[in-house]
This record gives sequence, structure tokens and C-alpha cells, in this order.
Amino acid sequence: MQKRNTYTDIEDFLSDESFQLWILSKVDEQGWEDWTLENRQRAKLVEDARLLLLAMKVPNTDLTSNQIHEALKSTWRKIEEKETDLRENTSYSYTFRYWLAGAAAILICFLSVKFYQRNILADDSVITYNELIEDNVEGLVEQTNNTEKAQTITLSDGSSVLLQPDSKLSYPKIFSENERKVYLSGEAFFEISKNPKKPFFVYANEIVTRVVGTSFRIKAYPDQQNVEVLVRTGKVKVKSNDLIETSKKEEIELFPNEAVRFTRNSLAFNKITNITEDQILVKSVGNIEQLSFEFTDIPVDQIFKTIEQAYQVNIDFPKDKLQDCRLTTSLSDQPLPEKLKIICKSIGNDTNYEMNGNQIVITSQGCN
Amino acid sequence: MNHTLKKNAVDDFTLWSNLKNDDQRSFSMLFERYYSDLVNYGNSLSPFSEKVQDCVQDVFADIWLYRNSLQDHVVVKAYLLSSVRKRIARLFERDHIFRKTTSTDVIEFLFDFSIENDLVEDEVTAERVLYLNKLLNELPSRQKEALYLRYHQGLSVDQIAELLNINYQSANNLVYRGLLTLRKEWKGSIPLIVLFSGVLHIS
Repeated sequence: MQKRNTYTDIEDFLSDESFQLWILSKVDEQGWEDWTLENRQRAKLVEDARLLLLAMKVPNTDLTSNQIHEALKSTWRKIEEKETDLRENTSYSYTFRYWLAGAAAILICFLSVKFYQRNILADDSVITYNELIEDNVEGLVEQTNNTEKAQTITLSDGSSVLLQPDSKLSYPKIFSENERKVYLSGEAFFEISKNPKKPFFVYANEIVTRVVGTSFRIKAYPDQQNVEVLVRTGKVKVKSNDLIETSKKEEIELFPNEAVRFTRNSLAFNKITNITEDQILVKSVGNIEQLSFEFTDIPVDQIFKTIEQAYQVNIDFPKDKLQDCRLTTSLSDQPLPEKLKIICKSIGNDTNYEMNGNQIVITSQGCN
Repeated sequence: MNHTLKKNAVDDFTLWSNLKNDDQRSFSMLFERYYSDLVNYGNSLSPFSEKVQDCVQDVFADIWLYRNSLQDHVVVKAYLLSSVRKRIARLFERDHIFRKTTSTDVIEFLFDFSIENDLVEDEVTAERVLYLNKLLNELPSRQKEALYLRYHQGLSVDQIAELLNINYQSANNLVYRGLLTLRKEWKGSIPLIVLFSGVLHIS
């Protein structure tokens, strides 16, 4: 402890733990106070070191032991997940992919088993999100939703994706010339802009869904055993990824309000034609699917409110100028940018929108 | 400034070698000991705190997965801080959405130093602390990070050099030039000259 008698400048003090403790927490187990008072020059040095410490505070998020404990648990989960991945990579080359695409439809992929139970699954038949991403060379952008609310992503083709919590989506900044491919882990609601020349594929776990336009929802968490695809509008085709070796190559066609459940360990598709009778599907219906976008003589502020709720965005519009405006329009089938475009056009020629993340600003001189 | 290494706790080195011999308990103890510090450091480099926690957990996950090939003699805390920094740098490179600029030299120290207001008791102190604080925050980002690592995370200049991937002399400069700048700025104040004398003799 008498080390401090040799201290000659503030650096010595600043890096002394017990000194810091004395200044910042007033814990003086080692008699700093008395020691300081012994010598005038020493007192000067101590005072200057103290001032510097007081001026050098940094934000400190003190985690509770509970939070640390949770973090430790999720780290062990990560470890098991990675161990599984490592095993797969040795038995296969790492060029795995998965794809999902749906046309004019809503897809739900639903995987429901804790990941340590995944060891039961035949290793060769499991495809993970990471493997899919690694296989893509387009230079993907990844968005992860770690918040508690859904987030809206707008893709380069004008399609919108409502990404649910604990989910991530990878997509190219700009789609290639003849197809659109995105990769999902978790759950998302897709509204795809129509373009028959460029089919849209969603890869999720072991299945691929193909769409040419409109909207669908996918729910595909890596730690769950089933993948479910639910179609709301239009038509979707679902098949297993080519990388999985199954005896029968099935392709399931789904129409509105139909669904398919893919069981990951048996690699079997199970088509559900009446979704209202399926408890799991009924429970997982999202906000956006319940909201109606059929508007008949409705004030525009209410229409904006509906959109805010569905896409978890904020819309800023000139309330006074638009207070008497009412619209009749059908927007069910459109991605978010398309919906906004139609609304602006319907209000009047001087009406425009600008979208920046989840902030939307409408400028208008009033309705026609 | 929370280096609360309890005196009778098992030291890092023992935990590290136990961990290398597949001891899960030692792994958990190291995790509990350093998780908070690492998250705090991560938060100084990225504004996305969820991602930071994810990175820190990935660092620990990799330590366990590759425990057999870990080096024997490491300063555990310095090693962990450095791993977190690399993780976050990688995140910035890969994740275009979360990147603010297109530059690849991405890591920047984001914290501003603030004032321990509760501990400032009189006006003279308040004035001086305020001034020092202003000077501290005018330092370049790297110097601030070096000061943070030195005094808040308790790393040695050696360890800072390794972590920032620079040589010893540069790290030394980063840590002390900050203080020297302060001295220069604080002209006419005799106490400050006393305060910083000898700073250069540290090695």
C-alpha cells in the first residue's frame, strides 16, 4: 500500500483503483484523506487528480445481476446453435441455401422447437439463415429487429416488408436483373410490388416461396420446428430447397387464406385449407392482416392512422389543410410506398410524400 | 470506473486455464465478472445497444467454442475488450444499414465525458471541473478512447497499444498527449503545471 508514497503525478493517482473508489464512491478504506493531509504538495496533486476524475465521467449502464444472468443463458444458447452449425458444415459444404417465394400471398413460416431439440433433427436436412446468406454473392444488407415493435423496410423495387421483433431480413441493396431474392429468419409480412418479369423469392429455413406480386407473411424462427406459410391474397408456390435431398419433390400451390406447414424433421408438407380451424395460425394473425384497407368515404387522417398502426410508422401531415378531405379507395393489395402514392394522388396534384425510415412526411395544399 | 475485483475472488488467470480445460463454471464466472464492462465499452463504439450485447455474447460464445486453441498467457480483460472492439468493427463493415459513413475506418469513440455533479461541492471546483471537462471533450476521438481505456477500464499502455493496433509509443502519446493538451490549454494556472509535470516520464 505504501506504493502511493512514490506517486509523483496525477497519472499515478488516476490509475489507482482505491484512489478512484475514494473520490467517486467516498469509500476510504486506505486512509486517503489522512495521507493527503500529511503533505501540502501531495494535497495539491491529489486535488488536481480529483478534478480530472470529476470531469471525466462516462455513461455507465449498470446491468442487474438478473440481466447478466439472462445474457449468460442466451450465450449458452448461441454456443449450442453454433455447435450445430459447425457440425453441419463439416458434413456438408457450406453452400447451403434456402428459399421461400410467394406470389400475391401471405406466407407464415413457423418453426417451433427450442434449438437444443434441434439436435434431434437430422443434421443434413437443417438449413440455417447464416448458410443461406453466405451463399449469396450479391452483397446483402441485413436488418435486424431487436426492438419490441415491428419495423417497416422498403426494398429497392418499392416492396415493403414489416419485420417483426426478433427477426432479421437480408436483401440486396438493388435487386439483380431477373429475380428478387431475400432471406428471412423470424417473421415478416411482405407486400411485393407486381413485376411478372422479376419473380420474388423468400428463402427461409428449408423452404422456398415464390411470388410475382402483392403480399404475404412469413414466420420462420431458427429455433422452431415447423415452417408455416399463410396466404392472404393472390397465389404462392412453396417448395423445399433444392439442397435438401428428399425422395419426392413437392411443390405446393396456395391460394388466399390457405396455409402450409412444413415439418422440419420429417421434411413433409401439410396443406391447411381452412386456416380458421388451425389454432396456431389463428393465434399468429398479425395486426396488419386484421386491418382493412378498403376505405369508403373516410377522412384522410383516419386513413393515415390505419397506416401508422399497420406499419408502425409515423405520418406527419398538414392537419388543417386536409381536415375536410375524404377518400374512397382500395389499398389492400399494395405495398406501403404504393399505398402512399395512391393516397397522395387521390388527394390532389400538389400532394407528395417523403419517407425516411419510419418517418413519413406528407406535403399538401389541400384536396381537390 | 468499476474495477471491483474482489480480493478473495479467483483470479482471471486461474479461471482462464480452467476454462481451457472445459470448466463451464469458470467460463460463467468470467462472463459475470466482465459482461457489464464489455457492454459499456461496446456502447462507447456503437449506438445500437442491442447489437452491442449481441457482439459481447458472440465473443464469449467463440471463446467457449474455440477454447482448445486459446493462448495460455493473456490478460483476460484486455483480450476481451479487444475482441469486442473487433466484433463491432466487423459489424460496421458488414452492416450497411447501421453504418453512418461509407468509410471503412469505422470505429469511433462516441462517449462524451460528463461531470460527476453529485460530487462537486463548491463553485470554484465546479468552474474548474467544467473547464477541464470542456477540454477533455475537445480531444480527438482516439485520444478520448485511450483515456477511457486507461482510466475507466484500467488497461495499461501496452494493452491499449495492442487493442488499438498501434505501437507502444503511439499509444503512450494518445494517453498522455491528451493530458498535455490540457496543460497547454490551461495557461497561467500554476496548479495545472504541477499537475502535469512528470507526465512524460511515465513508461
